Amino acid sequence: MEELVSAFDAQVDNALFWLADHASFVFDFCRLVLEGLYAGVLGLLMLPPFYVIAALAGLLAWRVLGLVPGVVTAAALALCAAMMLWPETMSTLALVIAATVIALATGLPLGVLAGLLPRLEKLLTPALDLVQTLPPYIYLLPSIALLGYGPATALIATVIVAMPPAIRLTALGIRQTPREFIELGHATGVTPLQMFLKIRLPFAVPSIMAGVNQSLMMAFGMVVIAGIVGSGGLGETIYGAIRTLDIATSINASIAIVVLTMVLDRVTQAAARTK
Amino acid sequence: MSFNPGAFLAPAVDWLNASFHPFFALITQVIEAVLSAIEAAFLALPPAGLVAAVVVLAAMAAGLRVAVLAGCCLGFCWLTGLWQASMQTIALVLVAVLIAVAIAFPLGIIAARRPGVEAALRPILDVMQTVPPWVYLIPAVMIFSLGRVPAIIATIVYGIPPMLRLTTLAFRTVPNDLKELGQAIGAKPRAILWKIEFPAARPTLLVGLNQCILLTLAMVVLAGLVGAGGLGAEVTRGLTRMEMGLGLRAGLAIVAVAVLLDRLSRGALDRQRKGA
Repeated sequence: MEELVSAFDAQVDNALFWLADHASFVFDFCRLVLEGLYAGVLGLLMLPPFYVIAALAGLLAWRVLGLVPGVVTAAALALCAAMMLWPETMSTLALVIAATVIALATGLPLGVLAGLLPRLEKLLTPALDLVQTLPPYIYLLPSIALLGYGPATALIATVIVAMPPAIRLTALGIRQTPREFIELGHATGVTPLQMFLKIRLPFAVPSIMAGVNQSLMMAFGMVVIAGIVGSGGLGETIYGAIRTLDIATSINASIAIVVLTMVLDRVTQAAARTK
Repeated sequence: MSFNPGAFLAPAVDWLNASFHPFFALITQVIEAVLSAIEAAFLALPPAGLVAAVVVLAAMAAGLRVAVLAGCCLGFCWLTGLWQASMQTIALVLVAVLIAVAIAFPLGIIAARRPGVEAALRPILDVMQTVPPWVYLIPAVMIFSLGRVPAIIATIVYGIPPMLRLTTLAFRTVPNDLKELGQAIGAKPRAILWKIEFPAARPTLLVGLNQCILLTLAMVVLAGLVGAGGLGAEVTRGLTRMEMGLGLRAGLAIVAVAVLLDRLSRGALDRQRKGA
C-alpha cells in the first residue's frame, strides 16, 4: 500500500516536471492569454473612479428593476468603496466577467449544437452530470498543477464550473421550439439559417438568459474560493483574514461579496425576465 | 471618507465569544463527541469489512448495479491511501445531512401548510441560495474558531435551503383528493401525514435529499480550508504546498465519494419509481 502510494506521487511529480520541461510554452501561452484578458477587463473597470461605476450600475438596476433597487445598488457599491475594498471588489468582478465571457463563448455554441443534434447531447450529458456532481473546490487542482499560482488558474477552474449551466439551458431552449412554428417555417420555405435565427433562437432566449444568470452565479462562487490559489480580489482578502482571524476585515469582505453577488444576480435575473 | 462596519461588528463578536463561551463550548463538545463516535465506528471495522457491509446494504436497498459501483468507489478510496480522511469526510457529511434534514423537514411541512410561513421564508432562502458558500464559513469561524465544528455548522446552514424548498414543494403537490380520501375515512391528521402525504411526497423528498447530500459534500470539502480535516484538508495541503500527487489522490478520492453518495441516494429514488 505505502509503496504504491509513494510511487504514484513520484510518478505524478515526474509527469509534471516532464510537462514543465517539454510543454511549458503551451501553458505559458494559456497563462498569457488568460491574464491578458483579466488585466484588460480590470483595466477597464478601474479606469473611471468608483462613483462612475456605482452610478452606472445604479442606472442599469433602475432600468431593469425600478427606482428603489437602483438607488440601493448604487449605495451598496459605494459602501464597498467606503470600506476601502474597491480595488478588490473590482478585481473579483473582473475575474467573474472574464471567466463568464470564456464560459459563454464556448458554452453557448456547444449548447446550440447539443440542442440541434440529440446525439451530441447524449454524449455531453454524462460529462455535465459529473462536472456538476463534484465539489467545485477540486477543479483548482489540475489548473494549479499546470498553470501555477495566480489569476490564470482561478480563471480556468471558474470556466469549468460556469460552463455546464450555459450548455444545458441553451440546449434546452433550442430543443423546446414549439412544433407548429417549425412546421410553419418549413411551410413558408425558410432556409436552415433563417429557421435558426428567426424561429429557434427567439424562442430559446429566456432559457439562454437563465443559463447566463446561472453561469454568472457559479462563476462568482468559484472566484471567491479561488482566493486560495492567489486569484487576487475579495476571495484572497477573506482567505488571508480567516487565517489570521482578522474578524473586522473578514466581515467587511463578506459584506462586499454579498453586495456584489446580490446586485449581479438580481440585475441579470430581471434582465432575463424583461427580454 | 471611509466607513468600516467590520470595526463596529468585531467587538460585538468578541463580546459574544466572551459572554457565551460556556454555551459555545458545550455545542463544540457535543458535536465533537458525535463526530468522533461516528468516525470511530467507521474506522473500527477493517476497510474490507466496511466495504463488504456497504455493498450488502446497497444491494438490498438499491439493487446490484449500485452495490457494485459503491464497492468500487470505496475500494478506490482505500487504494488512494486516504481511507481515514475519506471516512472523516463521510462522517461529516452524514452528521450534517442528518441535522439539516431534521431542521428542514418539519419547517418544510409547516411552510407547505401555511402560506404565511412560506412567504416569510422565501426571501431568506433566496438570499441564502445566492450567496457563495465561502461566506457561510466566516461567521462560523468567528464564533467556533478553526476546526470541524465551524465546518459542520456552516455545512448544516448551507444544506438546509434545498431540502426545505423541496419538502415544501413535495407536500404542496400531494393531490388533494388523496388528503380528502383520508379525511373521509376518518383518519387522524397524524395518520394522514405519515400514511398518505409522506408516501405521495417521497419522490420529491428524495430529490431534495440528493441535492442536500451533494451540496453538503461540496461544503465539507471546501471546509478543509478552515481545518475541518478529511479529504478537503488533503486537497488544501496539495494546493498550498504544491504536493500534486497528494492533491490528485485526494481529488480522485473526493470524486469517488461524490459518485458513491450520489448513486446511493439516487438508487433509492429509482427503486421507489419502479415500485410505484
